[in-house]
Amino acid sequence: MTESQQGAVIKTQGVTKEYADNGVPVKAVRGIDLTIDRGEFTAIVGPSGSGKTTFLNIISGLDNPSGGKVYLAGRDLSQMSGSELSNYRRDHIGFIFQAYNLIPVLTVQENVEYIMLLQGIERDERRERVQQVLEQLGLGKMISRRPPQLSGGQQQRVAVARAIVSRPDLVLADEPTANLDSETAEDLIGLMRQLNEQDGTTFVFSTHDDRVIRHARRTVVLKDGKIKSDEIR
Amino acid sequence: MWLQVKLAWRNVLRNTRRTIIAAIAIGVGLASMIFVDALTIGMEHNMIHSATASYMGHAQVHNKQFTDTREAASTINGLDTLLQQLRNDSLVKYASPRILGQGMISSPANMSAVQMIGVDPTVERYVSHIDDALVEGGYFADTAGRAVIIGSKLAERLEVELGDRVVMTMAEATSGNLSQQMLRVRGIYHFNSTELDQGMAFVRIDRARQLLALPDQAHEIALVFNKEGLGRKTKHPFYDRYSYDGNLVEGWSEILPQLEAALQMSQFSTYIVGLVLFAVVSLGIINTLFMSLHERMFEFGVMRAVGTQPIGMARLILLEAAALALISVLLGVILGWLVTSIVAQHGIDYSGIEFAGATFREPLYPVLQTDQFIRFPVMVFLFTLIVAVYPAWSAAKLNPADAMRKSM
Repeated sequence: MTESQQGAVIKTQGVTKEYADNGVPVKAVRGIDLTIDRGEFTAIVGPSGSGKTTFLNIISGLDNPSGGKVYLAGRDLSQMSGSELSNYRRDHIGFIFQAYNLIPVLTVQENVEYIMLLQGIERDERRERVQQVLEQLGLGKMISRRPPQLSGGQQQRVAVARAIVSRPDLVLADEPTANLDSETAEDLIGLMRQLNEQDGTTFVFSTHDDRVIRHARRTVVLKDGKIKSDEIR
Repeated sequence: MWLQVKLAWRNVLRNTRRTIIAAIAIGVGLASMIFVDALTIGMEHNMIHSATASYMGHAQVHNKQFTDTREAASTINGLDTLLQQLRNDSLVKYASPRILGQGMISSPANMSAVQMIGVDPTVERYVSHIDDALVEGGYFADTAGRAVIIGSKLAERLEVELGDRVVMTMAEATSGNLSQQMLRVRGIYHFNSTELDQGMAFVRIDRARQLLALPDQAHEIALVFNKEGLGRKTKHPFYDRYSYDGNLVEGWSEILPQLEAALQMSQFSTYIVGLVLFAVVSLGIINTLFMSLHERMFEFGVMRAVGTQPIGMARLILLEAAALALISVLLGVILGWLVTSIVAQHGIDYSGIEFAGATFREPLYPVLQTDQFIRFPVMVFLFTLIVAVYPAWSAAKLNPADAMRKSM
């Protein structure tokens, strides 16, 4: 393993993804080489159909690439079994999806502590960390509410809380602001940026919203499944 | 695990209407099984009781040759000793000796072939229910010992009424000479069974012995046990104990094999009904669980994405099935108890219908047993879990990316 792989949270080498859409072969990702280091705040940008979500799914181990290699914190994902991948995601990656992120029948507290339950963390520690994170995100008073009782912005904050509470190496967010109004969207991205700066949490998020993109320190633009540009501010 | 239990329970209650409909479907299935089983048991009791209590008794002793040939001369060997032994046996409640003979009964108006049954009225009244079935007259209510009790159809045929004289003609057992006795009709019974109402005539055993010239003999000893079930358990040592000296003891299930076959058929029918109900219930469960699964595809995708193992997903579906089964079983047990209890109060009137050699004399009363409220609910619960394995396996196999993509 090289030095750069050890410092990198994610490293992809020639990643491709092809799938059949109603029998028609689609090349969603066409050979992406990308390295994301710890502490980065990176936006994967591109129009609809550019391969953002597919790429995020591949680097998180949710989907298998058709070709190429993906290293997550130095480990080759292709060498892991399904069960190992599940555990790896649980312990190293936090997820934020664009909507319907939360389990609607669980309270805010139960949603946030869900991953820690899977990790087998003791009840007292779980509760303490949940309380701490929710306070940090301004959700301290909503601990007993269920997702349908929260606004879209609040639900996404809870999703952020769930993503960071187990202190993962990487938080992946797939269009986290897609269903939010612009003010709430900026607020959410501001919060993610704040967590990145304070705690050094690595964030990689996909978006095509310009107001969100300007918060990113690094912007990787995809087009037709390939990297069109990669800029660091 | 506790969170999964909580999650499963809340998920089941999430779509209340669907859960209630599924629970009613499963519950009605369970209630039907309880009801059908209770009805089958009631029907068995009724049929056995109707067959044995009218005339036959729970078991009978005959000379083995009589069983094969029905020859009048083949009487029970060692009657007095055997009768004494049987009456002293703790398993036997009543033992009634009988003389049986085929002959002719005639009145001034008509004549008919008849089976004469000579009985000892004092003990016979506890074995056969002729006295209960009397519609006219009394039970051997005479002092001269010339009473004959005949069935309503035979009385019609002979055109006789109470007090009328009839003549019974028999062939003596050993000589074959014809022998006649003048008798007086003292009772008319109605069992609502053609065989009993038309073909039989009851006289005192002494009179019958005279007619057949068989002093102190009997062709049959009808037995009533303290426990009705013994009449069906023909492998019980009791049967061997008294089948000696050329005599043979047979339970009702051997004497009336068609009834035993009918009972087995009804049990088999119950199993078939149970299987059909289980099949319907299983489709309902699978449908409910799959609907629930497809509705929450994205949610399952998220759960898999954040690290829930496939086995955890399967466990969640199985727990949801268990929660659904619990609600359904509770509903089914209440419904089953309620419906069966109501029907058991009033009964279903099949009286008079003849089936497999037995005539229903009383309404059918479903019989509720504790076992039905343990065996069937446990079966439905376990069956629900078994059926849920398929949706659980599907949930476990979900690819998180596909699950989220499909639901977008």
